[in-house]
Amino acid sequence: MTTSVQTGTPTDPALGRAETILARWAPVASRPEPNRLDVPVPAEDVAQAAQALGRERWGYLAAITGLDHGPEADRLEALYHFCSGAAVLTLRALLPRHGGTVPSVAETFPLAMFFERELSEMFGVTVAGTPDPSRLFLPDDWPTGVYPLLKDVNPQAALAAQSETAPPRLQGKSDGDRFIVPIGPQHPALKEPGHFAFEVDGEVVKGASVRLGYVHRGIEKACEGQTWVQNLYLLERVCGICSHTHATCYALGVERLAGVEAPPRAQAIRVILGCLERIHSHLLWLGVAAHEAGFETLFMYSWRDRETIMDLLEQLSGNRVNYSCNVLGGVKFDISAEQAQAIRRALDFVEERTRHYLEVVSTDTLFLGRTQGIGVLSRQEAEYLGTVGPTARASGVPIDIRVTHPYAAYRAFPAEMVLDTAGDLTARFVVRMKEVFESGRVIRSILDNLPAGDLTVKMPRRIKPAETISRYEAPRGEVFYFLRSNGSDTPERVHIRTPSLCNWTSVLTKAVGAQLADVPLLLAGMDPCFSCNDRTVVITRPRRDPQVLSWEALRSAARQDRRR
Amino acid sequence: MTIPPIIHLLFFPGGLFMLALALAYEYVDRKVVARFQNRIGPRWFQPAADVLKLLIKEEVTPNVTHPVLFVALPVLALAGSLTAALSVPILGLNPALSFPGDLIVTVYLLSLVTMSMGLAGWNTNNRFSLIGATRSLTQVFCYEAPFMLALLGPAVVTGSWRITEILQTLDGQWIVFSQPIGFLVAVVGLMGKLEMPPFDAPKAKTEIVAGAMTEYSGRGLGLFHLGKIVEEVVGLSLLAALYLGGVSNPLAFFGKTLALLVVMAACHCLFTRLRIDQTVGVWWRYGTVLVLLQWIAVILWRVMTA
Repeated sequence: MTTSVQTGTPTDPALGRAETILARWAPVASRPEPNRLDVPVPAEDVAQAAQALGRERWGYLAAITGLDHGPEADRLEALYHFCSGAAVLTLRALLPRHGGTVPSVAETFPLAMFFERELSEMFGVTVAGTPDPSRLFLPDDWPTGVYPLLKDVNPQAALAAQSETAPPRLQGKSDGDRFIVPIGPQHPALKEPGHFAFEVDGEVVKGASVRLGYVHRGIEKACEGQTWVQNLYLLERVCGICSHTHATCYALGVERLAGVEAPPRAQAIRVILGCLERIHSHLLWLGVAAHEAGFETLFMYSWRDRETIMDLLEQLSGNRVNYSCNVLGGVKFDISAEQAQAIRRALDFVEERTRHYLEVVSTDTLFLGRTQGIGVLSRQEAEYLGTVGPTARASGVPIDIRVTHPYAAYRAFPAEMVLDTAGDLTARFVVRMKEVFESGRVIRSILDNLPAGDLTVKMPRRIKPAETISRYEAPRGEVFYFLRSNGSDTPERVHIRTPSLCNWTSVLTKAVGAQLADVPLLLAGMDPCFSCNDRTVVITRPRRDPQVLSWEALRSAARQDRRR
Repeated sequence: MTIPPIIHLLFFPGGLFMLALALAYEYVDRKVVARFQNRIGPRWFQPAADVLKLLIKEEVTPNVTHPVLFVALPVLALAGSLTAALSVPILGLNPALSFPGDLIVTVYLLSLVTMSMGLAGWNTNNRFSLIGATRSLTQVFCYEAPFMLALLGPAVVTGSWRITEILQTLDGQWIVFSQPIGFLVAVVGLMGKLEMPPFDAPKAKTEIVAGAMTEYSGRGLGLFHLGKIVEEVVGLSLLAALYLGGVSNPLAFFGKTLALLVVMAACHCLFTRLRIDQTVGVWWRYGTVLVLLQWIAVILWRVMTA
């Protein structure tokens, strides 16, 4: 079937198919890991190769990673990662370090639009034919020609240069004769900053656009300046809700790079924490979604019950939010028999409550009136738009990393995928509530058979040059980490793609034509997490004349207002 | 014994007394809702503290508004609901102002709050306010007719449109048993009038911030709020008097109105917000039809017994 298997014994049949599809480029392909296939592709062939994959419906585009090899090597790579089940296929396009051009793959994979804008903004790569080449996640007043993820660019210096430029002049808002309802960056519907502009005609939405990036913190760049160990604590702070997700995804990746495997007991504890995180995240989401729909009572009760899990997490780890459970090579704390008992008791309570909530969201007439048949996403649409996580599973797309590519203790304690076929908001409620039960079941089965042994193994400080990809099923969908080491104690490149980014297109598509009143619930339906999402990337169709106000401009505007 | 009208207007039953009573009822409402939602709820003086805070806060007037309207509309709203209190048997005492047709006038004075809010939303020319105002006024057209018809049910039975006369003729009869549909529509209509969930689309904060009130910050917001809670007390008194066997003494007044308040608070907690199109549907498809059926029954009964 293939000619180029270099390493790894259990080859994934999907990769064999990929080699057949990409036969033209396959002769130079390599398998760095059993489940991965690297195919070097000339930059101008990228779109063709992607089209071939899209035509054969081979997997989905997971991320586009830019990789700068530094001024000495003077080259840059654009890595197009495609995933199908456990298999990861990477198209590697070699580019000059300055002025490189790749063709857009957004026609085959609409989601690529985000990734391509990230690529062009962070690395200065021109993407020919991308639907929206405008600046995407850097601030609007970021100096042009400064590409922060290039190795020799110092963002601090760029920021200093930026502050010397004159603050932009205040302009009156002008949207022509369109009636635009702005939601955000500060709005009661949003718990994190983001800007949505909905063009409405009466109560019906006619157009939707989103501008994110308000919580962009440059974490990927920061990672390159810190040691592997330090990064664990930085990455844990990518997100406040799925902090364990990011730390575990990173730790698993780094351990694989170093050729180390954490002991079974550590892997089990990681999964227990992951499941608890999923339960608290889904209950939190239930409350937020109910609040967006105007059902305050459900909001209050689900958040009260979520406290049970938060208390549990605090009891186990000492922290409510950043549990700091992981170290590279294992976990920090053990779970004692009494704690296991406390977990079981808490689960009993939460599961009983969740059964009630499941009944409420699937039988309450008024609530169904707000969710049933709203925002229906068919399986074809969901796959085409690159949707992930519970949003995709509610449309019947079988995508769940815990099942298709089990990591940590999920190999020994398999999880089951929760699917629904309706694809509407009700289905998204039902899928998430059922996942609470599934997480509870996994926790119990692990607690009943908790492997004995050590909590950590020794990790080397320096890691030989290699690359790996770590995927993890966060409460919101697949988290994708690309890690590259260079033999030192710091990473060469850490690239993060979070699930929220993949789900925006589906929401914006479904918002057009919906009632304005359904929009908050539609937004909530994908459980957006701006904080993860913005760590590096931003979004579609920004306002034509975006205004950025400096602190000084804001203050002077406020003074003018007072004088009036 | 004659009390000078100015006393009625300023102290009892209008004016200060109504404000105090409305704040007390707001406290009960908020506390009950909080307990239903598994929260602690506010302390007894919290509603008063909130209003006081708003009244002494600086008010920011947006520069695109008509400044006179901006200031006058909240006053008009509060004046409307305070005036409505004059013809209603507050505390079970005789209304201060009684004249033929005062039932109609009272109901329309109560609508003044919503109308002022709608105008205020239009006047402030904010996107959220405009949508909120549109929704408020759309809703007025939905519940106003059924609500009015439901209140007129007892009037038709007694043959008078004067509140005191209706109450005398009824003489403690519980109309709720003979006209249950009318009562149901009246209670739900009052919830609609007060923009309580599930009819709170005009101020759905996750969509349009505070709806028509978005640009109001200080005194104006406080006065609108007072207007709303006075409207609530007047509405409850009307319903208790007309449907629940009258309110002949303060004990009956408090018992009946507070019981109604708790029922409304429970409904408030039970439901998800309706979209504005669903609200319109509920009222025109069910509310209006039901109350018309009730009317036909009442009229037939009148014709047959006459």
